[in-house]
Amino acid sequence: MGFVEITGREQVLIRQQRLGHFLTILLIVLGLLYSLNLRTGVVSSTVPYTDLQAGISVNYPANWLLDTSGDYVFRVRDMSRTGFKTTLQVTLRPVGPDMTERNVLDSLNITRPISLSTYDIQSVEQIMLTSETPATLMRYTYVDTETNPFLESFPIVVAGEDILTLSGGQAIIITFRADARTFDQDRAIFLQFLRTLEF
Amino acid sequence: MNKLQNDKARRGILVHTPKIIIFLLFIMMTVISPVFAQTTTIPELDLDRIRRATVYVMQTRTVGGVPIITCVGSGTLIDRSGLIVTNAHNTVTNSACAGDSIVISLSILPDEPPVPSYYAEVAQSNIGQDLALLRISRELNGRVVNTDALALPFVELGDSSNVNLDQTITIVGYPDVGNSSVQTLTGTVSSFIAEPIGGDRSWMKTDTPIPGTMTGGGVYNQQGQLIGIPTTVPVRPLGADETCLLLADTNGDGLVNNRDSCVPVGGFINTIRPSNFIRPLQRGATLGITLQRITQPLVQLETGGDPAVSRLFIAPAEIDGMPTTVSGSMPTGTNSLYLFFDYRNMTPDTIYELRVTIDDRPSPTFSLAPVRWSGGQNGLWYIGSRGQVYPNGIYRFTLYINGLASGSREIIIGTPQQNTPSFSNIAFGIEDGENLYGRNNILPTGIVVNARFIYRNIPEGAAWSEIWYYGDTIIRRNDATWTNDERDTRILRVEAPGGSPLPSGRYRLELYLDGLLGATSDFVVAGAREGAFPRVFSNLRFTSADSLQVAVNNPSVQTFSTTTREIYGLFDWEFVAPGTLWRAVWSVDNIPFFDQTLPWDNIETGQNFAMLLSSNDRIPDGTYRLQLFIGPALLSSFEAKVGIGQLAIDPFAQATGVQMNGYVLDAETRVGIPNVSVIIISEDYSVEDFEWRADQIYTMGTTDRNGRFQLERPLQLKLPYSVIIVADGYLTVSADGVEVDNETENPLEVVIVMTKD
Repeated sequence: MGFVEITGREQVLIRQQRLGHFLTILLIVLGLLYSLNLRTGVVSSTVPYTDLQAGISVNYPANWLLDTSGDYVFRVRDMSRTGFKTTLQVTLRPVGPDMTERNVLDSLNITRPISLSTYDIQSVEQIMLTSETPATLMRYTYVDTETNPFLESFPIVVAGEDILTLSGGQAIIITFRADARTFDQDRAIFLQFLRTLEF
Repeated sequence: MNKLQNDKARRGILVHTPKIIIFLLFIMMTVISPVFAQTTTIPELDLDRIRRATVYVMQTRTVGGVPIITCVGSGTLIDRSGLIVTNAHNTVTNSACAGDSIVISLSILPDEPPVPSYYAEVAQSNIGQDLALLRISRELNGRVVNTDALALPFVELGDSSNVNLDQTITIVGYPDVGNSSVQTLTGTVSSFIAEPIGGDRSWMKTDTPIPGTMTGGGVYNQQGQLIGIPTTVPVRPLGADETCLLLADTNGDGLVNNRDSCVPVGGFINTIRPSNFIRPLQRGATLGITLQRITQPLVQLETGGDPAVSRLFIAPAEIDGMPTTVSGSMPTGTNSLYLFFDYRNMTPDTIYELRVTIDDRPSPTFSLAPVRWSGGQNGLWYIGSRGQVYPNGIYRFTLYINGLASGSREIIIGTPQQNTPSFSNIAFGIEDGENLYGRNNILPTGIVVNARFIYRNIPEGAAWSEIWYYGDTIIRRNDATWTNDERDTRILRVEAPGGSPLPSGRYRLELYLDGLLGATSDFVVAGAREGAFPRVFSNLRFTSADSLQVAVNNPSVQTFSTTTREIYGLFDWEFVAPGTLWRAVWSVDNIPFFDQTLPWDNIETGQNFAMLLSSNDRIPDGTYRLQLFIGPALLSSFEAKVGIGQLAIDPFAQATGVQMNGYVLDAETRVGIPNVSVIIISEDYSVEDFEWRADQIYTMGTTDRNGRFQLERPLQLKLPYSVIIVADGYLTVSADGVEVDNETENPLEVVIVMTKD
């Protein structure tokens, strides 16, 4: 039995071809890196917000819905979330000379259960803000329900954090709320937000 | 820059109709959604919205830990935050409806019975007019409702003064005790009924029988505006029957029987309270302010006794609440008729009813179903109509008080035109030479009061009488024989003995001809004379202070700062007899928010009668006015501006337009995507201009677990909105130039399909 060996002639790439391949791969890699960078930029890009009257300036995530019409200085929400809309909020409350952070927290904790379903405090601890300002951090959860009775929606468990500090005769309450399932993931946004907050 | 602006190519579109211009731009992996081409011409009456805005109202009482229904009715949402208009008799606690909570049920699905959804509280009420405004306050689990976050379907109030006879109306409400879906009836306006409280349009009547449980519901014109409230008060029967239903074991004996309280539902009704009566209540409820009377009563007025009516008579017309003359018969073609009567010991809880028969056959057109009493405690009242022809016949008018016949009067209509002897048009005044001074039967204190009246066809030698009353006491009586002179008017006089001024208070003159009442009219003596008119209330002013003591010494203020929380209304008064009916009307931007007629319960002359307008937050900007009346006469008025002097415009007050609902689906699975935000950008901005600011948004909606959404506000016609729908993991959908017009189907159902990123 004989074998017939069929062999092709070895194709030798010329230098220009190798360079071409290399440049193509390099271009793809650079494109991917650029895309990633662009996406990261879009995702992590921020918008400055300043309220001279309240004496607050901060950067908040781009494409979050800004609302200043409520009983807060400002509130931004991520409307693209298909659950609870992740929320960052800054509220000011006047305080008396003898009022402590704890008093303000107590007030919040008395009034919130009236409107927030199954409001539950998880923890309260003292922290230092990046500006070396002492503050109180409170973690809590509640259940958010749809307000439109004509729709059928499941309740959503929301986790929240309030950072409270007293300054200049007022309490500054910085609030972060997110769907409990994505809370840890979204908390990076809150920390970034906190780093830019000045009051 | 938002995602969309970064990637215009990803824009897509959701829906179109022939007259809706929506661009279908799905570039790059966005699937074009199925669209509904609608060519139907929509009716002006948005019945879907009206049905959803109609609520079932249950007043409940807790017995042994279990809530039981005490009274029921229908109601209508008149703003997005849960303000409901309904009747007072079945919501405001009273002896017949002694509940302590109000449960609001909504029509979640159009063809199914209502579903209990909220608790409500009474925000404003007028017991006599039988109107109440309820405010949704709590969820059924007791949690407080954030009313600012509510976006409930609601209807707009129409102007009931524009309603015409024979106009087609739509009546909406619940036909039984919560077992059926909301019901719609069609009818026409068959007549109007006049009373002193609202003039010729105090009531509307319809030819359509309305179930008793639809009391408090809505009556709509063809534009879908609320023009009236079907209203009746069930007269509580002695036991349960078809007008009073046994629903629960209210006495806790384990049995449901005649020993238990029944729920009054009444019989069929055809009486409608016009919507213009609601406006003061609505304004009061939305302002968030409180009005207190600070000056307390110093005179104890006589109260008690059974309510009663007397001295029933018929007049062909009224002027300022007084009969022009007294008629025993009327000619063919009569189209104006008023039944006058005196009333005593009436309260807002009193139920009165007028039954009219023509030749012994009941006449629903001219009868008035049992309703709450809206006059004061004692006085002269009328009920009648103008502008509709009374067929010939023998009419019997019978008044029922709390279900019992209390007085009746008969009159023949259809007699030939005759030159019947008559007295008419009595006018009073303080004598000053040839002139009579006074204002709308309000006369300043003086020594002599003159009465001028017209007479016609009185035969020489006829026996006639004049009788003057002060309160219920005859102060002058003159029986004489008639002698004609050259004029057709005559003047009568009355004066206090000894040349002293006539005491202030209520007076009456009756003129009799051959022993029959021919004309009568009342007048009030009050105030000092100032020129030709009485000065009853003076030094009316507004001021702001921390206390009444400070307020009375502060100067009058006509412009208050926008942070004002308290405004005192102060005035002095002269010669006002206790028991004299006076009226205070507070309004803002020309719309009253407080209007009350009360008997004067203070000393005759004094200073600094005080009322306090206050708010926990701040009194809203606006032009506030206080007006003081006796009878129809405006005697004093003062107004002041707060802030810019004009109420802020509520951008959410408009209920008309096209309601957009729909689904957001996953392009691949065709399953609804939950919790997606559908954002409608205001017509002033395009998607390109949208900077993700809440004040740029016209309305929004969020999908439920099935992917269904309802926009919170209806789209206005022919405005170019922009739409943006964003969801994590999906390509953004957006469009500019979304318009609806009057040919767009309402509600507009759309399907939006989103493709995974």
